Amino acid sequence: MAHPSTPQPYKYTLAERLYLPLLSGMWVTLRHFIGNVFGRRKSYTIQYPEERRGYSPRFRGHHILTSRPDGSLRCVACFLCATACPAECIHIEAGEHPDVNIEKYPVVYDIDMLRCVFCGYCVDACPEEAIIMSNNYDMAFFDRASSIVTKDELQKPFTYDPAQLGYRPRYPEEDAQRAQAREQVRAGTLDLVAEARRRHGEAQDTSAASAS
Amino acid sequence: MIGESWVTTTVDKLEEWGQNNSLWPLPFGTACCAIEFMSVVSSHYDMARFGYEVVRFSPRQSDVMIVAGTITDKMGPTLKRIYEQMPDPKWVVSMGACACSGGFYRAYHVMQGIDEIVPVDVYVPGCPPTPEGLMYGILQLKEKIKRDTRRRLKEKRADSDDSGSAAA
Amino acid sequence: MPTATIPALPLLEDYPEGSVLPVEGADQPTWIVRREVLSRLALELRDNPETQFDLMLDLCGVDYPDRDERFEAVYHLYSLPRGERLRLKVPLTEADPVLPSLIDVWSACDWFEREAWDMFGIRFEGHPNLRRLLTHEAFQGHPLRKDYDPARRWILTEDKIYRPDPQPPGGDTDDDIFERMTINIGPSHPAMHGTFRVVACLDGEIIVASEVEIGYLHRCFEKMSETHTWQQVIPYTDRLNYCSSFINNVAYCRGVEQLLGIEPPPKAVWARTILSEFSRIMDHCVCNGTTLVDTGALTNFWYMFQPREEIYGLLEACCGARLTVSACRIGGLLQELPPDFEARCRNLLETIPAFISDVDKLITKNRIWLDRSVGVAAISGEEAVNRGWTGPCLRAAGVAYDVRKAHPYDLYDTVDFEVPVFQGGDVNDRFRVRMAEIEQSLSIIRQLLDRGMPEGGFIVDDPHVALPPKEDAYTQMEAMIYHFKLIMDGIQVPPGELYSMVEGANGELGFYIISDGSGKPYRIKVRPPCFPLMATFSRLMNGGTLSDAIATLGGLNVIAGELER
Repeated sequence: MAHPSTPQPYKYTLAERLYLPLLSGMWVTLRHFIGNVFGRRKSYTIQYPEERRGYSPRFRGHHILTSRPDGSLRCVACFLCATACPAECIHIEAGEHPDVNIEKYPVVYDIDMLRCVFCGYCVDACPEEAIIMSNNYDMAFFDRASSIVTKDELQKPFTYDPAQLGYRPRYPEEDAQRAQAREQVRAGTLDLVAEARRRHGEAQDTSAASAS
Repeated sequence: MIGESWVTTTVDKLEEWGQNNSLWPLPFGTACCAIEFMSVVSSHYDMARFGYEVVRFSPRQSDVMIVAGTITDKMGPTLKRIYEQMPDPKWVVSMGACACSGGFYRAYHVMQGIDEIVPVDVYVPGCPPTPEGLMYGILQLKEKIKRDTRRRLKEKRADSDDSGSAAA
Repeated sequence: MPTATIPALPLLEDYPEGSVLPVEGADQPTWIVRREVLSRLALELRDNPETQFDLMLDLCGVDYPDRDERFEAVYHLYSLPRGERLRLKVPLTEADPVLPSLIDVWSACDWFEREAWDMFGIRFEGHPNLRRLLTHEAFQGHPLRKDYDPARRWILTEDKIYRPDPQPPGGDTDDDIFERMTINIGPSHPAMHGTFRVVACLDGEIIVASEVEIGYLHRCFEKMSETHTWQQVIPYTDRLNYCSSFINNVAYCRGVEQLLGIEPPPKAVWARTILSEFSRIMDHCVCNGTTLVDTGALTNFWYMFQPREEIYGLLEACCGARLTVSACRIGGLLQELPPDFEARCRNLLETIPAFISDVDKLITKNRIWLDRSVGVAAISGEEAVNRGWTGPCLRAAGVAYDVRKAHPYDLYDTVDFEVPVFQGGDVNDRFRVRMAEIEQSLSIIRQLLDRGMPEGGFIVDDPHVALPPKEDAYTQMEAMIYHFKLIMDGIQVPPGELYSMVEGANGELGFYIISDGSGKPYRIKVRPPCFPLMATFSRLMNGGTLSDAIATLGGLNVIAGELER
């Protein structure tokens, strides 16, 4: 198969030579013009900020740290979100929780909003559904220091308004199932996260030992 | 004495009003954010509603530079030169994670935030920010201009009061 | 991982023992070639009627610091007439990393060789202009070598900037009417899409010589992918071709899935095919829309951007982001499809054609557009292939190569579609190919929707690859441990290497993936479809007017994120 060695450009038809198809083009713009002026069609413009585009319930916006019913953070400072984050924008410092069943909690939980790429990996990684995302995109900062959002700000504004929730592991229609599942875990005394972390550590220790 | 300061402050206020409502943007678009910037200026969002009427690619005719996209070290000198070519007063909006901080490119050829070389007035996070996100940033910039002018006027008044009392 | 049989070619008998060694068990025929015979072999592979490797797809370097011969230059060849692939690997020592330049065999090698020099310090003897391509002038070292610190930056100052001064061959002798003028366009120039710099030497309004400078958006994708886990690379792939990021996701995930030897479930494949086609439509809309803006037809931009906004809405409903979707995961999709997915797709199928037909009526037969585009920047099919072109631009030059037809993946072998081909090779035909492809994409989507959404999960049910379902992770010990392991250690991809390709919106998008089994990619090389296109830009510009150059660049659909990575 030989490839064409010379290009053969498009040949104009007689109508094209005479600029006739321009008329149909003009009709297109005229049609749009009339349609827009005489209100056959609604204008496409969204009058932000008064009016907002309806984003889906999966929108990846500002993060939310969810709370337990007693108002404390659900986060157990397991560092999975910080590990999964490709931008390394999550900074956590863990502390001992007074409740022995919970074991740990984040003393510091900062997200550098200017580094964050809103990929949702932290939400996927969280084993406690402690971090989810909202559909809030109204963020702007005047300086870089204020762009580091602390755990209080992450927890506060959106927590219990379902209309403002965004990307999260499960969606409302499946909420009931999840609540049931969580009840079962709570009924048992087993803390899955702590247990998994312990076993993971053991696995690494043994592999390190065998390697050396 | 009072008459003079009344005239100048009123003119200042008029100037502020004018500045605030006809900011001409210079899109310094390089990457993904530039695509979203196009959405902001096209029909769905129409930034012209806020006085960002004319998008100017010439720095000498624009008031606010919107840096949309990653700025690499190779692009740095160009960005700086364009900023310097803009007439005063001028503002910079940094759109998106890459321009604000380098984003997730902690890499050998990416500037870790354009504030390394130019001052930034408003940072808009997102990768890329949604068009609304950018518009929110732009509205914040308007607030900032208003606030800065007020502060400037206040300082001016304090100065003229000082000089007035000194003369007395 | 698929393995290929090695063709026993009679032509290899003429070469000295050991100079060409076939590799067993590779994903495609692979030969290790000594550099002494490379030039001869390359010429023979191109011209021998039994091989006819006329398309040089990709050239990249790989660094193995532990080996005696530290570097490896890897060529990916393709034979359009025979539909076969071949990989050539040339080992090189650190002390003497020199290769003969293959520009004379495949012109496509020009920029690829410059890139290999820039990234690895492999020198190419006989290359006319072996300068750095992607990094800047003050840069020291070769960043993709394994011993280069990923975060080590070098600051470029104004006085070090390279100032190109292209001069036409033959010099200034016959110039008595016009004075030659050199003008600089870009990098911050709307018609240069913000990131390219062209220095053109003008004779009146005709460009007589030009030089293209790129690298203003070199974001180090390849180095970044070596420092992240397999799963974390997906958001980076979004930002390669940001006009159709979903296709990039698919291309990368397919590559890793093949290395792992897993198949995504039917529902994921079905959704990937549909969303890829929507992304293609979107990309073509942006390309044609901006080309028309660059030639002065602004109205079409608004008409073309409307379907694009609608498709953004669909993607956002699936994954939560408009542009940089990260919607694929290795082994499937990131989440279940939204309940109204099919309804939304059908709705789009009804609305998009109206906008496309508006543009069609305005432009396709419009003599003003035709005068601006017919015969502009024309290239023959033969030359386009030699320069490494693929995709719509190649099909506009009369060569019907489309990965979806030639090497079907996902569901493309089960749907009916045509590959539009035009013969002009100019800006007009590139426009028409894209318009015709939008039609074909719509038809593909319609066929798939008629088939109905397959039952089953959206990601493979393999806890070593995909995170277990959340309710399991919350309630079951075992799932929780897998969840932890997968996040902490990442997916464990077995050692191996693979070249996986899909039809991107502007040509063959290839991922050459090397794994060493460490949990992170050892090397990922993207074969960016617009790289050879942009390398040809200078040749297309010369001899045309300045305004033609602007139209040409728009029609090539060069996306900086993908070009420079």
